[in-house]
Amino acid sequence: MPLPEKKPDWLKVRYNAEAVNEVAEIMRDLNLNTVCSEANCPNLGECYRKHTSTFMILGNICTRNCRFCNVTTGRPLAPDPKEPENIALAAKKLNLRHVVLTCVTRDDLPDEGAEQFAKTVRAIHKQCPGTTVETLISDMKMNTDALDIVLESKPDILNHNVETVRELQKKVRPQADYERSLNVLRYCKQKGFITKTGFMVGLGETEQQIDRLLDDIMDTGCDILTIGQYLQPTPAHYPLDRYATPEDFARYKKAALDKGFRHVASTPLARSSYRAWEVLEGVNDLY
Amino acid sequence: MQKKLTMPKLRPEMEKGVLCAWLKEEGEKVEAGEPVFEVETDKVVQQIEASESGILSKQLAEEGDEISVFDSVGIIDT
Repeated sequence: MPLPEKKPDWLKVRYNAEAVNEVAEIMRDLNLNTVCSEANCPNLGECYRKHTSTFMILGNICTRNCRFCNVTTGRPLAPDPKEPENIALAAKKLNLRHVVLTCVTRDDLPDEGAEQFAKTVRAIHKQCPGTTVETLISDMKMNTDALDIVLESKPDILNHNVETVRELQKKVRPQADYERSLNVLRYCKQKGFITKTGFMVGLGETEQQIDRLLDDIMDTGCDILTIGQYLQPTPAHYPLDRYATPEDFARYKKAALDKGFRHVASTPLARSSYRAWEVLEGVNDLY
Repeated sequence: MQKKLTMPKLRPEMEKGVLCAWLKEEGEKVEAGEPVFEVETDKVVQQIEASESGILSKQLAEEGDEISVFDSVGIIDT
């Protein structure tokens, strides 16, 4: 089916420049990056207004070149030693109940960036007692020493995105690997953590492929799932295949819940960290 | 007092934006936080909110116009 000329009504979002600037200034002053800004997230206006954001650690240059992603690829800079403390400070200033930390993939670092994650989780726990932390990690090349470093810092949720169905992995995220991502989730679950993953629709996947993807994720023991619409950042990125309707997303949600996921966020603008605190509240019985 | 309504910089590399729709007519009352016009980006349609309440006294751009970031698109009499 050809794409409509106009964007569908469910892709309208609100933007308030003053509210956005307030949070953007805090980030700028502390030399911090957010994936909200780097990925040109459609929810930035809503989240910044609610004084929430998703921190992106280890710089803003990624060693991988995923075709769906707006983050810059290149040679990254050395990790900022002040970053963990500055994130804890920003979390305090924003009075965050739940902090989501993500990163650029650092294939160049021997520890895959794990130590910076752990330092940041510990800094938040120390500076903001009671605040929960979700680590949205790269696959860390399934380096279990690196994963253990992150897990030893005791994040409340371990999130790693599979991004798309098995059949589109090589086209969409060429340096990643489907089985490896599933193994990251499986490993973290076996270590006793609440695990979470997410994928996009609109890249050209079929309903059957989505169904198999749900089975494969469920097989890792994963607790929480997010499903959202792929939005092409620029014409140079992976081509958009379709806009799934809100009814499609409701159907995916039902299918996932029927398969046994504990919590599913499935809407056009759901992103892995969108309203993440609500998700955590929804799975409190898992503690 | 007259307050300018401007094209926001919706992402760091944005230089211009297309005002794709007005949501308020000239002379219409606007509340702070209410969306006044729409800008289409590659990903979504952003509904831009007024920062102050007042009357939209002038639309300085037409639907379909491409406007440089921070340039005025309208005036609100507060």
